[in-house]
Amino acid sequence: MARTILRGIPVSAGISIGKAYFVNRQKERRIPRETIPHHLVTVETQRLRNAVEEVRQNFMDARARVPEELKEHGAIIDSHLMICQDPKLVDSAAKNIADRAITAEWALERSIDTIGKAFSAIDDPYIRDRMQDVRVVGDKIMQALIGVPKPADLPSGRRVLMAHDLTPADAIELELSRIMSFATAEGGKTSHTGILARSLQIPAIVGVEDLEDSIRDGDLVIIDALKGLIFIDPSEEELAHYSDRKYQFEDYQKAIVKQCHLPAETVDGYRLDVCANIELAEELVQVKDNGGQGVGLYRTEYAFFNKKKMPDEEMLYEEYTTLAEQLAPGKVILRTLDVGADKLLDEQAMLEEANPALGLRGIRFCLRYQNIFRMQLRAMLRASVHGNVSIMFPMISGLKELRQARFILNSVKSELDAEGLAYNPNIPVGIMIELPSAVMIADTLAREVDFFSIGTNDLIQYSLGIDRTNKHVSYLYQPLHPAIVRSIKYVIDAAHKEGIEASVCGEVASDPYCVPILMGMRVDGISIAPQAIPGIKRIIRQIDMEECIELLGDVLTHATVSRINTKVRKRIFKRFPEELSFFASLIEQDDITEP
Amino acid sequence: MEPTGENNSLEVIVCVKNELGLHARPAGKVAQLAQSFQADIALCLADQRADAKSILDILALAAPQGTEICIKASGTDACEALEQISQLFHDKFEGDT
Repeated sequence: MARTILRGIPVSAGISIGKAYFVNRQKERRIPRETIPHHLVTVETQRLRNAVEEVRQNFMDARARVPEELKEHGAIIDSHLMICQDPKLVDSAAKNIADRAITAEWALERSIDTIGKAFSAIDDPYIRDRMQDVRVVGDKIMQALIGVPKPADLPSGRRVLMAHDLTPADAIELELSRIMSFATAEGGKTSHTGILARSLQIPAIVGVEDLEDSIRDGDLVIIDALKGLIFIDPSEEELAHYSDRKYQFEDYQKAIVKQCHLPAETVDGYRLDVCANIELAEELVQVKDNGGQGVGLYRTEYAFFNKKKMPDEEMLYEEYTTLAEQLAPGKVILRTLDVGADKLLDEQAMLEEANPALGLRGIRFCLRYQNIFRMQLRAMLRASVHGNVSIMFPMISGLKELRQARFILNSVKSELDAEGLAYNPNIPVGIMIELPSAVMIADTLAREVDFFSIGTNDLIQYSLGIDRTNKHVSYLYQPLHPAIVRSIKYVIDAAHKEGIEASVCGEVASDPYCVPILMGMRVDGISIAPQAIPGIKRIIRQIDMEECIELLGDVLTHATVSRINTKVRKRIFKRFPEELSFFASLIEQDDITEP
Repeated sequence: MEPTGENNSLEVIVCVKNELGLHARPAGKVAQLAQSFQADIALCLADQRADAKSILDILALAAPQGTEICIKASGTDACEALEQISQLFHDKFEGDT
C-alpha cells in the first residue's frame, strides 16, 4: 500500500510516474513584524524598492523569453508586471513604512491584506479571483525581501514538478521538456497552472492539500490527474497498475484526438450531428479543436448577467454575428433568453417567487418582458445573414406560447423589413422540449416548428418532480427511468412523423450509457459540452444501429429503472471498457452545465 | 470634453465594450497608458473612483461590459491623456475580448 495518498483538483488529464522536485515551497515563513527606528525609514523603503525592482526585472526577463508554446501566457506575465509596479501595492507599502516605522516585509503584508479586503467585496468571481495574481506577485516581492533562494536548476532527468503555486513566469524559468507533470498546493479550476498545463499537454493537479508537508524532493510519486490523486512512495502493485493505465490513457487520448474530426457515423453508416453547448464565443476554439460540427445550444444568458446595464441590440448583434461567421457553414442555434430558477435578472429578483423553477422563466419571462425579447430577436435575425443561424425558444409548455412567440418574431421581421435591415426570412425556428406537457403534445408542436431540441436535464426534473441539486431527492435523478426513455422516444417519433429533426441537448447526450439508446431512437443530433465531443464521437463510430435498436428494445421492455440500469451498464461496460474508464474522468474536469 | 471647474479637470464618458468587461488585460493596458502621462487620471463609476495608473484600482471597479465610465484628468497633458485612453476604450482595448 502507498504510504500516503493526497487529493487535489485535476486540471489537465493524464498520468505520470516519477521523482518529485519542489521549485517553491511555502514553508511557515516568519515575516518580521517589527518596528524600526525612524532614521531607518529611508533604508527600509529602499530595501522594498530594490526587491520590487528585482522582481520586475525577473518578470521582464521571463517576458522576453516566452517560448512559442506559451505565447498566450505572455499577457499574464504582463499583468503580473503591472501589479508589481502598481502604486496601490508599492507606494502604499512605502507609505506604511514611513507612517508606521515598520519593516518592509510587514508593510508589504499590510498592503496585500488591504487590497485583498477590497477584492473580496467584488461580486464578479473572475475579477475576485485576480486576487490570486496579487498574492503571487506579493509573494515574489516577499521572497526577494526575505532572501529565499531562487529555484535551483532541475536535477538531471525528468521530474514531477511540485510547487506552492506556479506562474507562467516560473514556468519559463524551467526547462519544460524535463517536466512530466505539475502538482501545486494552491489554485483552483480557473488557475493559470491549469491553463499552462493544458497548453503544454502535461498532467496537472492543483489545490493539493498537505502537498508541501507530505512530499520531499526525490520522493517517487504517481500523479493520477484523471482522478486528482497523488500516491507517495507507491507499492509495486500500484506502480504496475498505473504504468499500464498510463499507456492505455495515452493511446486512448491519441486515438480520440486523431479521430475527433471524422464524422459521427456508425459502422453501418448512420450519421448524426454532434454539436456543442456553449455560452461564450471564446469557447468556439474548443468546439473546433474537439471536432464539434456546430453549436447546438448557445446560451444567450451570459450577456445579461453580472452586468450593471442591460446589453443593447448592437452588442448582441455583434456577439451573434461573431458566432455565425466563425462557425459558418456549421450551424449555430441561438436560444432566446432562458432565465429563471437559479438564473435571475434584476426584474425577476423583484418578483420574489415562492417556486422560481415553476415560475416566470424561459419563454414566459420573454413574453412578459417583450422589450427585452424583441431586442434579442432583432439581434438574432440581423445576425442570421452572416451564417447558418437558427432560433430556439426555451420552456415551451403549449401551443399558445409558441404562437405568441412566433407572432412576436414575425412582427420583429416586419419591423426590420420597414427599416430595410437584412435578415434570413427562412431562418429555422425550433423549441426546447423540456416540460412533460410539451412531450404530450409533441405531435401538435412539431407541425409548427422546424426542429426540436430535447432538454433532458429539465425534462427529468419536471417529469420526476425532483430538484437534482436537492441532496434529499437527487438520487431520483434517473435518465433511464422508463418514463424518460419513453418520453424522449415519443418526441423523436413525433418529430420524424412531421418531417422535422429532433436532437438532445442535456447531459444524457454525453453519457456513454445513454447515447446508444438515443441512437436506437434515431436521434438526429446531440449537443454536448465541447470536451465531451471526442469521446462520444468515438463511441458512435464503433457501434452499429442494429445494436442500438436492439438495446433500446431491451430497455423499453423493462418496467423498473434499476433493472434497466443494470442491463445497460453491464452491456455498455463490456462493449466500451476503455471509454468508461477514461472518458468520464475527462469530462468531469470541467463542469458540464445545465443546458 | 468639458472642463468642470473642479481642479480644472477634463472629463469624458466612455463605455466598456469588450465582452468580459474591464478584466486584467484591458485594465493593464489602461494603467500602462495612463502611467505614460503626467496628469492625474481617474476612472469614475457611480461613487467609486479608481486611479487610472493602478491596475489594481481599475480591477476593483469590476466594470462589466456595457458600463459607462467617466474618465477625469487634470494636469498639463490631461487633454491628450483623455483622448488616448478613451480611444483605447473605443477600440475595445486593441481587440481584447
